[in-house]
Amino acid sequence: MTKLPCWLCLATGLGPFFSAGGAIAIPASSPLYTKWTNYTAANGFPPGKVYCVRVDGDRVWAGTGHGLVLIEHGQVKRVFTPADGLAGRAVMSIAVDPQTGDLWIGAFGGLSRYSGGQFKTYTNLSSGLANDLVYSVAVKNGEVWVATAAGVNRFDTRTESWSIFNEKNGPFEEPWSYSIAFGDGNVYMGVWGGGVIVYNPATRSWRPYTDPDGEMEIVLYRNQGLIHNIVSSVAYNESTGMFWASTYFGLSGYDGRNWHNYLTKDSGLASDFINAVQSRGDLVWACTDKGLSCLNYKSNVWTTYRRLGTDGRGEIEITGPEGHKSKTVTPSALAHSYTLNLDFQGDDVWVATGNGLSHGICQLTQ
Amino acid sequence: MAASLIRRPLRTSSILLAVFLPLALHGAVVQDTSDPGRRYLSPVDLAISPNGTRLYVVCEDANLVLAVDTRSNRVIERIAVGRQPKAIALSPDGNTIYVSNELDNSVSEIDAASLKVRRTFGAGWGPAGVAAGRHGNTLYIANTLGNDVSVVEAATGRNLRSLPAGTFPEYLAVSPDGARVYVSNLLATLGRFDQPPVSEMTVIDAESNQIAERIPIPGVIQLRHIAQVRMADGAYLLVPFLRPKNLNPLVQIEQGWYLTHGVAVIRTPASRRGDSGTSRVDEVLLDDVDRYFADGFGAAATSDGTLALVTASGCDTVSMLDTRKLDRLLQAVPPGNPEALADRLDSARRFVTARLATGKNPTSVVIAPGDSLAYIANRMDDTITVIDLHRQAVATTIDLGGPRQVTPERHGQQLFYDATYCFEHQMACATCHPHQGLSDGLAWSLETPELGRDVVENRTLRAISETGPFKWNGNNPDLETQAGPRTAMYIFRSQGFSDSQVRDLTTFIRSLTLPPNPRRKANAALNEAQERGRQIFFRTTTNAGEIIPPEKRCYFCHPPQTHYTARVHMDVGTKTPYDTSASFDIPQLEGLYMRAPYLHNGEAVTLEEIWTKYSPEDKHGITSDMDKVQLNDLIEFLKTL
Repeated sequence: MTKLPCWLCLATGLGPFFSAGGAIAIPASSPLYTKWTNYTAANGFPPGKVYCVRVDGDRVWAGTGHGLVLIEHGQVKRVFTPADGLAGRAVMSIAVDPQTGDLWIGAFGGLSRYSGGQFKTYTNLSSGLANDLVYSVAVKNGEVWVATAAGVNRFDTRTESWSIFNEKNGPFEEPWSYSIAFGDGNVYMGVWGGGVIVYNPATRSWRPYTDPDGEMEIVLYRNQGLIHNIVSSVAYNESTGMFWASTYFGLSGYDGRNWHNYLTKDSGLASDFINAVQSRGDLVWACTDKGLSCLNYKSNVWTTYRRLGTDGRGEIEITGPEGHKSKTVTPSALAHSYTLNLDFQGDDVWVATGNGLSHGICQLTQ
Repeated sequence: MAASLIRRPLRTSSILLAVFLPLALHGAVVQDTSDPGRRYLSPVDLAISPNGTRLYVVCEDANLVLAVDTRSNRVIERIAVGRQPKAIALSPDGNTIYVSNELDNSVSEIDAASLKVRRTFGAGWGPAGVAAGRHGNTLYIANTLGNDVSVVEAATGRNLRSLPAGTFPEYLAVSPDGARVYVSNLLATLGRFDQPPVSEMTVIDAESNQIAERIPIPGVIQLRHIAQVRMADGAYLLVPFLRPKNLNPLVQIEQGWYLTHGVAVIRTPASRRGDSGTSRVDEVLLDDVDRYFADGFGAAATSDGTLALVTASGCDTVSMLDTRKLDRLLQAVPPGNPEALADRLDSARRFVTARLATGKNPTSVVIAPGDSLAYIANRMDDTITVIDLHRQAVATTIDLGGPRQVTPERHGQQLFYDATYCFEHQMACATCHPHQGLSDGLAWSLETPELGRDVVENRTLRAISETGPFKWNGNNPDLETQAGPRTAMYIFRSQGFSDSQVRDLTTFIRSLTLPPNPRRKANAALNEAQERGRQIFFRTTTNAGEIIPPEKRCYFCHPPQTHYTARVHMDVGTKTPYDTSASFDIPQLEGLYMRAPYLHNGEAVTLEEIWTKYSPEDKHGITSDMDKVQLNDLIEFLKTL
């Protein structure tokens, strides 16, 4: 294993990364995170899994099994629970309304709005919410889109009207919806067992994307379609126009013409079991059960972050386009290699893990 | 007790009587409403030009804005605006006047120099309060039926965004530094029917135009105009409220524990988005021990912050508040207990320096630059009371030129807003039916043979003339019974209204209508979800194809031919251990979308809960076969009625 020279961030440009097979060129658009700050039970953060994280300016919100956590200035400022009005203790998704500044929280127990310091909660019994198991929430132009265990809701906050999309009015093979993303005027829905469903609200048209070989866990038709129907998350990249889907059996990207699928066995992807995907610029981030992987889509260079043992050290693994791998040890690491979600704060990254929340700090100097 | 039932005269020892215009009561008079010039004016909001020479008066019943020259106290222009104008704001330079038109969902923009309408642009649903941002670039409009605030680009009239407010946002104010916009909500945040209400003051960050804070105001409803009082150690807000004891049996009215009236004092530090509990709230009453000042409405403060004025619209009075004394009173209260003084009827004497008689039904109040004069709009006699603030006395009364003759309907309207018919002036009809006959959204413990039982939700007075019998038990066959002996005996605890007064009052109540339903398209066509819901409403078979018994069909109890009420009792399985009867009057469904909460005791906070929580055995129609999509569709249809 080669020692890592630490000039490897976005602003530093191209840097060599040495492997047994020679130097791996790390593209300028690929940041590296060698310093991590973790929020765990050891320093006052709720114990256990963190399901989601959302950055809102200088605030960071995290959804845990013990409530909604607010972090400000590096400190846990408050943990909100159902006693405060939150829909449920297990917080699965958080979205910020860019217009109102309100927070929308998807929980096991319903949907909550946090606005001006007060919660308002919507449940299956008190509102048009399709189901109280809310996996994902996204908001745009006054419309809140909610992925639930019984379909996808659209809640128009101006008219307070609820719509439900499920197998009765859309191409849903399953109603169990895990993820919502917006892009190019469309709503992208990630459905557990149902692939990716794209809905255009303007034309009210649907386009489903499913695995051409069904739900088989082996890939018969590589790059001919979605890699698997069990989709855990979907993301749209505004700059490339591609949407990405994470599944429990690999990663898929679609550029409108071709599919680009990735498996652990022949890429730098840490694991085929992927909880969430994000994409911006040339990068695609995959939160897997064995680490956080980042693909530079243009250069086909992978970077994976893992935690090593119990001494707090971490590992960065770089996989070049030809499959060469290089690893280095970092003094700090993700709170846990089981990663569930991430968001960005400038060049920094926040990662929800199986054992706390991690803040990856982008260092601009050696 | 007998003496207490007799209406008491005004105690003139503490009141300086204004000069009232003679208003003859001629029951046979009929108003010619075809000509706006002949309509009653009903002034409800005021604004004054930066140099103090022009007073602008919003007249909701005449669809007019009047410009008054304050040197001559004469009306110099009558400007036609949209239907039911409700509130007014000036641009910071005073060159532009904005007036909300509640029934048209629009705002009229008026050139202050020419006094001509420049243009009219759209607002949200039921716009009332309007305010201009400090730099004049942005307008804020409180939409009562939309429960939101429109943020509008002043130059273009373009809606930039809509911010969810509380329930029925009515008035707005911009902080002197322009950093925040305050929104008062008339009705309480919907919650459990058997708990005291909590209202909300919504705070908008004017820089980001995002919600900064939702300040809970416990135990009160009907937050109205917002006065901003400058103090040496920072400004605070003064907002009139009504403090109901709606869960106490109504017999408590003699003990003075049923309805009280006061102001919320709100100190808002420079809070940032999402912070909670950073504002301090104190509640203090303006009522005296044996004399109430019902229906606080307008509020204003002098520029130096030493004096504040609050109108009691039900008692034709304005209270003058020494804010220094009020501040000293509140400084003795530990923070974190907003209701520490909220039930004290001995507070007002410590900071109220005068009670001045106004015209009928004083609403808005403004203070002229220089702090010498205040102007008060008197809705029910079309006048302006001018107060000399130095002498704390009425200087004069301006006649705005409304019709001299009083029709029965107008007389009924005057009675509707008049709390002096009630024991100790505690309430008027409008107290529980604000904003032209709405329900206040509360469950009330009314007089029944067994005290504390049969708590029932208040019902709207809008569009009810053909929906009798009345009350949830259906015991009142007509409005005359309710407005006459029942009101006198059970509510006002006084001699109540005479027969002719009851006749006029019910004439007015019958004139109350619903606003245009914004959920219906202009051509009244239904959208797809609404149409699907309509088909469910009129369905005769279940999803499985089984015939639904007629009495279990929606339209059996809610036939459209009679305003969606069969006008009989029905047991729909909602009886609680606290209800004497299981059978309740079937309510009309028109205007349902603006009538939450639901069911006889208001326990259903949303329409969904009627069926998801309170009809487990399909007693309230057959609905258990429906899926969630169908229920959502049915509700979408119901909201269009």
